[in-house]
Amino acid sequence: MSALSLVAVGGDGFQVTPTLIAFNLRLVFTGSGDMNATSIINAYLKLVHEEAIRLGLAQVSCDFKQLTFMNSSCFKSFVVWIDTVKNSDIRYQIAFLTNPSLPWQRRSLEALRRLATNLVTIETIA
Amino acid sequence: MTDSGDARALVSLTLSFRPLANQIGPLRTLVSDLCKPHLADADGLSRLLLAAHELLENIVKYSVGEAAEFHLHVEAKASGLLVRLRTKNRADPERMADARWRLDALAKAPDPIAHYDELIRESAGRLDVSGLGLARIPAESEMELRYATEQDWLILTAEGNASERATG
Repeated sequence: MSALSLVAVGGDGFQVTPTLIAFNLRLVFTGSGDMNATSIINAYLKLVHEEAIRLGLAQVSCDFKQLTFMNSSCFKSFVVWIDTVKNSDIRYQIAFLTNPSLPWQRRSLEALRRLATNLVTIETIA
Repeated sequence: MTDSGDARALVSLTLSFRPLANQIGPLRTLVSDLCKPHLADADGLSRLLLAAHELLENIVKYSVGEAAEFHLHVEAKASGLLVRLRTKNRADPERMADARWRLDALAKAPDPIAHYDELIRESAGRLDVSGLGLARIPAESEMELRYATEQDWLILTAEGNASERATG
C-alpha cells in the first residue's frame, strides 16, 4: 500500500489531522468549524476523496470528538463530498465519530446520513 | 447591553454593532455564558447556540452599511423557557429578494426537516453559497423562524422553547 500523501492542515482554532491505519483513513477534527475553516475543509475534502480513490480505501472516519461546532458552510462541504462519493464509480464508507456531550453533532450528522444512508454511518465515541 | 426595563426576562440583551466575522465566536460565548445558568440541559443550550451562530453569520455575510442589531431574550413561562433571538440588518435588493424567497419557502414547508433535506440535496451540486444556514435553524434548533422587512432592513426572529434548570 502506498504512503499517505495527506498532511495535517489548519491553524489557530481549527485543525484536521489524518492517520492511515490499513485501509481506513481517520481524520481528527479539532476546534471550531466556522467561517475561517470553510475554505480549509472544502479544499481538504477534495484531497481526501482523491487520496481515498488512489489508495483504494475501504473507509474514511471523521473523528469529531474535539470539534466544538460546524457552521452551515462547513456542513455544505461535507454535503458535496458525500455526494461526490455517492456518484463515484469507486466508493468507500464514511463514518462520523461523535461526542455525546456535543448534542449538535448528532442533529447535524443525521442530516448527512440521510443524504446517503448506504454510505454514511454515525458512531458515538466515549 | 442588558435591557433592565424587561423585568420578566431572565436574560435580555440588545446589541447594536458593526458586524465582523471575528466577533461571532465571542458573541456565541457570551450567549452561552448568559443562558447556561437557566437551561436545564446541554441539548437546549446547543440548539440555542446553533441558531445564534447561524443568525450572526447571516448578518456578517449579508448586511450592508455599518449598523446591525442582535437581540437575545430568555423568559420563564409556565411551560418552560421561551427563547427568542432577533437580528436586524440592512440588505441589498438582491439579497433581500433571495432571503424572502428562501424564508417564504421555509414558512410554507409542512415539515422543516424534510424541507432541509431537500435543500441539502439541491445544494450538493452547487459551488456557490451554501444556502442552508437559515433552514438549519428550524430543522436542527427546533426554533420557529420568521421574518419581517422595513424598507431595506431585514428582521429575522427565531423563537423556541427550552427546559428551565430547577432552582433551589
